[in-house]
Amino acid sequence: MNKRILPIVAIAAAGMLALTACSSAETTSGSQGTELDGLTGDVGAKDFSEQFILAHITSQLLNAYGANTEANTKLVGSANVRQALENDEFIGYWEYTGTSWITYNGNTSPVQGTEAQFEATKEADAANGIAWLNPAPLNNTYAFAIRAEKAAELGVKTLSDIAALPKSEQTFCIESEFSTRDDGWPGLKAAYGLDIPDSSVALLDTGVIYTATQKGDDCNFGEVFQTDGRIPALDLVVMEDDAQFFPAYQGAFTLSQATLDEYPEIADVIDLISPLLTTEQMQKLNALVDVDGEDPEDVATDWLTEQGLI
Amino acid sequence: MTVTTETQFLATVSATDASAFHQRFWTWKRFVTPLVVVVILAGLLAWVSVLQLDSIEERTLNWPYIVLRVREHLLLAVSASGLVAVLAIPLGTVLAKTKSKILKGVVLTLANIGQATPAVGVVILLAIVWQTGFTTALTALVIYAFLPVLRNTMIGIQQVDVSVRESARGMGMTPRQVLFRIELPLAVPVILAGLRTALVFAVGVATIATFINAGGLGDMIVNGLKLQRYPVLVVGAVLVACIALLIDWVASLAEDFLTPRGV
Repeated sequence: MNKRILPIVAIAAAGMLALTACSSAETTSGSQGTELDGLTGDVGAKDFSEQFILAHITSQLLNAYGANTEANTKLVGSANVRQALENDEFIGYWEYTGTSWITYNGNTSPVQGTEAQFEATKEADAANGIAWLNPAPLNNTYAFAIRAEKAAELGVKTLSDIAALPKSEQTFCIESEFSTRDDGWPGLKAAYGLDIPDSSVALLDTGVIYTATQKGDDCNFGEVFQTDGRIPALDLVVMEDDAQFFPAYQGAFTLSQATLDEYPEIADVIDLISPLLTTEQMQKLNALVDVDGEDPEDVATDWLTEQGLI
Repeated sequence: MTVTTETQFLATVSATDASAFHQRFWTWKRFVTPLVVVVILAGLLAWVSVLQLDSIEERTLNWPYIVLRVREHLLLAVSASGLVAVLAIPLGTVLAKTKSKILKGVVLTLANIGQATPAVGVVILLAIVWQTGFTTALTALVIYAFLPVLRNTMIGIQQVDVSVRESARGMGMTPRQVLFRIELPLAVPVILAGLRTALVFAVGVATIATFINAGGLGDMIVNGLKLQRYPVLVVGAVLVACIALLIDWVASLAEDFLTPRGV
């Protein structure tokens, strides 16, 4: 317990300093402790903005506690990042429960319930020597979005509403990956009783889906990720998953068990940010990068400073 | 004195030439490529059939899915190459004949840009500013494969020996006749080599059509890669490689058939 209290005391101290206006910009990004002295290496990231932001946040936070880390955002693709962690090239990176469960652990169907999915994934990865720290509330799961104006015109709010629409309006943009997974297209059609011919489904890359959904030429409903900042920015609305079909893609910091054993304080430090990272918070941070074009590193620094964490 | 008339002489020459050509053409070496491809495909089939596929893999590794993707892929690659041939060969001919440095510079710069820009970038950009689908993928492929054919056509025509050109002119041929009877036939091997490059490029680059709803084997490759389903990834990638090998082989046959004798 002592270890958990220490960082909190540190935050309180930083907060007091800020209040008394003693701290300049320089000192706010200063050291918060020395628990992680000796920890050096890279914090990994997959190749999209949310991951870049999370990697920079984590790296800067760890450094504030004495570590000497850098965010490495050069790898492309989940599988490569995971492989790099298994090869000890990274201290750790943020992973999503559903991704590990289905992609790395080779399962085909998700575990129902956010917590149960987390526990199952944690257990499965323990066998691989990968540890999961306490998860953030953010759930970067799949969702279907539609342009707000069209949603109003069609009067749809939930995924169940879609089945009642005329066939010509039941058009979808999805990714190739999504099209074959059990927790993707085939499962969704079964769960919501959708009967949709392949001609009404456009297979697109993730980035293209957002603009295609906004344009509305290829489809009314586009497969998106819940935390993506482009959802509010492009004035899209997310259909409520009223049958709770999609599994949880809860974010958590993953690292090798060996690293965690050597530096158990990492868990306490990450616990400082995990509870703050909600889906809405992540959407806002992602929008700063994807929509406003800010640098992920600056976004991370600003956010940590705002939260009084560095 | 027996004088063989010119026509008789030519007839004998072409007859022996044809049979010699036939012998030279259909050697066992001709069949190495298709044989290798057949062996690879058989091995692939054997490997996949012993695998225990999960439900994700089963949705991809089935005949209707694969046949459809192969068809889409071939359609894209072949029609892109056809379009490139129709557009780039005449343009290359015009450029080789023109004296305007500006025209030459502008067209070559554009073609260079087309090939230098990453095809993925072109495809996604076109999808965002224009539309998604087959036409867009085809356009991107044509842009990408344009340069080798254009350049080879120009080089093919320019490399024709000046003395050959001069003697044709001396025989009273018009510039038009020189072009169609002398220069273009002599340029055929170089032009075809460019076209062959373009075809093989197109087969490879057509994999990115998957990003914009134009199908093809990229569907399998991306799917297998993202979901870490190696059988899916390997089947997709090996099929693309086999198609490229086969197409290159067919193109090499065409090259040998179409190249004028003695060139």
